[in-house]
Amino acid sequence: MAAVLSGLPLVAGGATGTSAPTDLAGNVVQLFNTSSSKTTVLIFVRTDCPISNRYAPELERLYKEFASSAAFYLVYADATNTVDVIRKHMSEYGYTFGALRDPGHELVKLARARVTPEAAVFSARGQLLYHGRIDNRYVDFGKAMPQPTKRDLEEALQSVLAGKPVGVASTPAIGCFLADVR
Amino acid sequence: MTRLVPLAACMVAVAIPAIAANPAPFAPAVTFYRHIAPVIYRNCAPCHRPGESGPFSLLTYEDVKRRASQIAAVTKRRYMPPWLAEPGYGDFVEERRLRDAQIQLIQEWVKQGSPAGSMADAPPAPKFTSEWQLGTPDMVLHVAQPYQLSADGPEVFWNFVIAVPIKTARWVKAIEIRPGNARVIHHASVILDRSRSARRREKTPGAGFAGMDLAVAETTFDPDSSFLAWKPGSVPAAEPDGMAWRADPGMDLVFNVHLRPSGKAESVNPSIGLYFTDKPRTKFAMLVELEHDGAIDISAGERDYLVSDDFRTPLDVTVLAVYPHAHYLCKLMEGYATLPDGTRKWLIRIPEWDLNWQGVYHFKEPVFLPRGSVISMRYHYDNSANNVRNPNKPQKRVRGGSQANDEMGNLWLQVLPVEEGDQRAVLQEALMRRLFEKYPEDFTANFNLGDLLLSQGNAAGAVPYFERAWKAEPRSALAATELGTALASASRMPEAIQHFKRALELDPQFTDARYDLASAEGASGQWEPAVSDFSQVLKERPEDAKAQQHLGEVLFTWGDELASAGHDEQAVERYREALAYRPDDAELRTRLGVALARLGRLHEARVELEAALRIDPNSEPAKKALAAVRAQATAK
Repeated sequence: MAAVLSGLPLVAGGATGTSAPTDLAGNVVQLFNTSSSKTTVLIFVRTDCPISNRYAPELERLYKEFASSAAFYLVYADATNTVDVIRKHMSEYGYTFGALRDPGHELVKLARARVTPEAAVFSARGQLLYHGRIDNRYVDFGKAMPQPTKRDLEEALQSVLAGKPVGVASTPAIGCFLADVR
Repeated sequence: MTRLVPLAACMVAVAIPAIAANPAPFAPAVTFYRHIAPVIYRNCAPCHRPGESGPFSLLTYEDVKRRASQIAAVTKRRYMPPWLAEPGYGDFVEERRLRDAQIQLIQEWVKQGSPAGSMADAPPAPKFTSEWQLGTPDMVLHVAQPYQLSADGPEVFWNFVIAVPIKTARWVKAIEIRPGNARVIHHASVILDRSRSARRREKTPGAGFAGMDLAVAETTFDPDSSFLAWKPGSVPAAEPDGMAWRADPGMDLVFNVHLRPSGKAESVNPSIGLYFTDKPRTKFAMLVELEHDGAIDISAGERDYLVSDDFRTPLDVTVLAVYPHAHYLCKLMEGYATLPDGTRKWLIRIPEWDLNWQGVYHFKEPVFLPRGSVISMRYHYDNSANNVRNPNKPQKRVRGGSQANDEMGNLWLQVLPVEEGDQRAVLQEALMRRLFEKYPEDFTANFNLGDLLLSQGNAAGAVPYFERAWKAEPRSALAATELGTALASASRMPEAIQHFKRALELDPQFTDARYDLASAEGASGQWEPAVSDFSQVLKERPEDAKAQQHLGEVLFTWGDELASAGHDEQAVERYREALAYRPDDAELRTRLGVALARLGRLHEARVELEAALRIDPNSEPAKKALAAVRAQATAK
């Protein structure tokens, strides 16, 4: 149950609205807490985005790498995605971590996310420490390197968890626009 | 003629809603139903619909609205619809490319908030079939085992080997490829494997095998006349009238697919529909390849490496289609012809090559090239870090080869000679001469040129080509045999026999070599080995009428030789053996009768001579001999 994510309201004035972010059980979530919360990673995805879908195995790998020290959530910001659609998508692509619905794009705004896939790393107190691409594999639409040469999200998380400042706090991501599913 | 092109383009531009060209202070309203739907339905929906390659459907206002700014972005950058060929450098049937005004229209629509507009303005919804687009096929071929593509990992190039279960040869006028899982298949092509050679590369029958470009250069497209390929959005079409291709019993189709992991495990299970016709081929097109893979050697970091090839056509031809191919380092591709009067005729220009969207390009109008035109390919490669698709990090030296980390550069052309009838041998000779210029030691070039000279009666000229071919592939029993054949035709019989024997050491089951050896031995008067080898051929191929005939000849001639040396008893044995293969040979029976008569076996002699006269009642030698035998019998 996601009720453990109690604490400070996520966005002032937004948490109780009908478009507030919820978990898949329908509970309104408040991610950041002064006592129990951890470093939080939000990954914005769309069910119909080939680029974010192709990242599923890599995202699952990162989740497993950091599961003990950071909280990972997929964020579905498409208001038309029902809980059933989300669960089916997660099962098809082998996601084993948590998911949130963000129909009002409050998390999108908070993370300054623009496309899918895009990642945001928050401190336990809700400070945005990194946002942007997972890695540099995609250079443009349809233009991808066979392997990334820089794994930005992984490096940012390593820094945060080691208590160091993040080298590059913001990177441009290539993917499917979140604005279209507003 | 060429003046018509800009005129036509002008007229099209006028027909577009005057959005971009209209600098009015208030932009006119752009709506989905009136302005955007026609563009999307025609250019996007063929792939963006259920079951096709597009990752989502674009069939309704809701579908499009949910990706509006995405569509604006990818069309503006011309990433979508994917179209590699530069306009103005070839006019293709497959063209799917937005005009500038259409792109501008989409930008404006999104800027205005992507309004739906009035449904009264809506064009008819696009109609697609989820069934076979060409109708029910005459035969549907399935892969033996679907390929299981992992969720993650590199791109995969996979080959399915599919048998064609037909009992007699059939003419195929069309194929339709159903990819089975279009979203992970980037490109597919079908290769005809008449010798079933690809099958040997499967670990277990039906398992398929990995590989990017099939390394069966001499049979890949030969004697193919058509490109059999699929790419996202491609519309299957029948071959032009008179250009059906022949499917032979026992042949395989090799189905080569380029797959890209999607993020989840996928099963790839394609099928192929064949459409037959009773109309045999009357037009003999041929696939012609320009390439120079053997010269590719790109140092690490090289930013502009040129691969070129040129081919002078020995005939008036039309080019019906082109298929450019390279791997990940190629950037710019140019294919053109220089006519005898010096003018340049473009075939294709691809300013930014992307393997993911490779495909066949059919000309709207066949491109006529008079005899003597030089067809050229100029491909440019970037092996530096600037090339994001460079598979090697750090960069390394790259050479020609069929693996994804090697490079290739091909410009395949579908060429139809203008003159009627089968002119392919003329093209083949010119191609092989060009291949020989590029690769003087190459097996295929030397072997085919040798064959060509041999078929023209120039055996002595053929010998050095076959010698080089055999040197290139010393394990090739076929090369040793052909060299032997050329030597035999050049009356160098002892050497010929030596090469046939060598071929049989390489492959003792190679019946053709044994047949040639037996023939050469027979021609050299080596009767015993000739008889022994022809007998072996007949064990391996009992129905071989030529071997039967030749064995009979050898025994007959051997008998003659024995008879003229006075060994009539042995001569009779050989003649009798020969009769098994030539029972209706009056002359043979006459000689046998004469030899028997000389031995005093008059009754047997009479039987044979009478038999000879039944076959040929006018045979004077038989009549004379029979008269002599009768006289002798009476005298006794």
